[in-house]
Amino acid sequence: MSKTEFNEERPLIMHIDLNSCFATVEQQARPMLRGKPIAIVNRRTDHTAIITASYEAKAMGVKVGMKLREAKLLCPDIIALESDPSKYKFVYHKLLDIMRDYSAHVTMKSIDEGIIDFHNTSADIAGRDLVEIGLEIKQRLKDEIGVWMRCNVGIATNRFLAKTAAGLHKPDGLDVLTSQNIIETLGELKLTDLTGIASRNQKRLNSVGIFTPLQFLDADITTLHKVVFKSVVGEWWYKRLRGWEVDDVETRIGRVGRQYVLERFDLTHTEVLQRLHHLCESVGSRLRSQNLSARGVYVYAKSSEHGYWHSSVLTPLPFYSDQSIYAQAQHLFKKAPDSIKEIGIHCYELGPVENDQISLFADQITRERHVVEAIDVVNKRYGERTLHSADTLGTGIYVNQKIPFGSTRYL
Amino acid sequence: MNDEIFLNEPVKVIATFSGGHHPCKPVMFKRANGREVRVSELGLRHPLPNGNKTIHAFDVTDGGTDYRLQFDSELLTWHLTMEADHYEQN
Repeated sequence: MSKTEFNEERPLIMHIDLNSCFATVEQQARPMLRGKPIAIVNRRTDHTAIITASYEAKAMGVKVGMKLREAKLLCPDIIALESDPSKYKFVYHKLLDIMRDYSAHVTMKSIDEGIIDFHNTSADIAGRDLVEIGLEIKQRLKDEIGVWMRCNVGIATNRFLAKTAAGLHKPDGLDVLTSQNIIETLGELKLTDLTGIASRNQKRLNSVGIFTPLQFLDADITTLHKVVFKSVVGEWWYKRLRGWEVDDVETRIGRVGRQYVLERFDLTHTEVLQRLHHLCESVGSRLRSQNLSARGVYVYAKSSEHGYWHSSVLTPLPFYSDQSIYAQAQHLFKKAPDSIKEIGIHCYELGPVENDQISLFADQITRERHVVEAIDVVNKRYGERTLHSADTLGTGIYVNQKIPFGSTRYL
Repeated sequence: MNDEIFLNEPVKVIATFSGGHHPCKPVMFKRANGREVRVSELGLRHPLPNGNKTIHAFDVTDGGTDYRLQFDSELLTWHLTMEADHYEQN
């Protein structure tokens, strides 16, 4: 690689990652858990999947996504804790506040990682060494949240390399990736260590003889564009690996949804519908919190006998009330299979709520809007689900709010 | 195994209010049975979602047991809501 191909500007992108975030936060909150293998789960049953494992548990081979039962075989002393989203939300907001002290251009990628773009910051900040700022942020996490908090910091010229740098020395690393050390660093990684390269992309790369990140870096743009990815994605990878920014794009909300793994697999159809209704209320609330309406409803069910089943409907008029969402989901669910293990719903074809829309059903829509607004006001004042449909009265203990992965819109 | 006991026990609390990043720190609390617990570390303080009302959760320890104290900022009351006194091996 010739040096001129690499982005030689000063590295001004900082990626901050609270690895094993939920486990670390629990160990911070509960000092007796520190140094012990712990796993965060949504429900403390043997068949539940692990959301996060502490570094102590990971050292024993426990992995995210593993069933708790399997983890106990590897690590009999593992302590399973139910997730506590309010703690994680608090830490998320603390981290965000700290990051915003350094730049107006902060993007949170998920509940436990974010990016500070130091382009166009104040002269005071711009004049400082970013390594020094990274160390200061690490110390501020300890001072402002608690002594057990740690984070990984990566600095580079683009988001992809900054994230790669943040993953080099977990759990408390700070690395800078530049043209000076890119070859040495990529030489120590596997293809699947790169964010965005999972088994499918790995196979694509392998098919043209690319088995390592260094071979990936050496590949020419035409091969990546026309042979490997067969689209502009190949060109993006070519630039990404050389430190040019291609990932600074705002994502639009395409859909709003929720899913739920049933607490028992022998629930009656009515009991499944009650849980679906609960999910619809949750989705409706999220939709309205973003001032959006939808035109489509998609439902799915995973069945032990019939595999994955799904159905959807698209309507001419937009809707946003829990009642409208559930009415459509319930209708679609008439054809759902038996022996259901998991259900999910999402609304799509989203658009802004238009209050002045005239339709043949204007009176009905206005009445519905007033009821929905009144319910939302009560729930905001007195707490979530103070008012909800009667048939979801008993579902709250099961289908309670869990951690929203990926999107930070609802935090 | 995780031995958490969930409670809703009214407790009397001595707390300090000062500046800094952790302006309120419970120092000691007295349980309904008369037992006094000295707090050796405040693990985390965070708000709990409850509509417009703020409930502050204080996760604390006395060095042998982890506790959660909740302070209702509207009613000015303290409750002990969780105790996790030991972590036995399975």
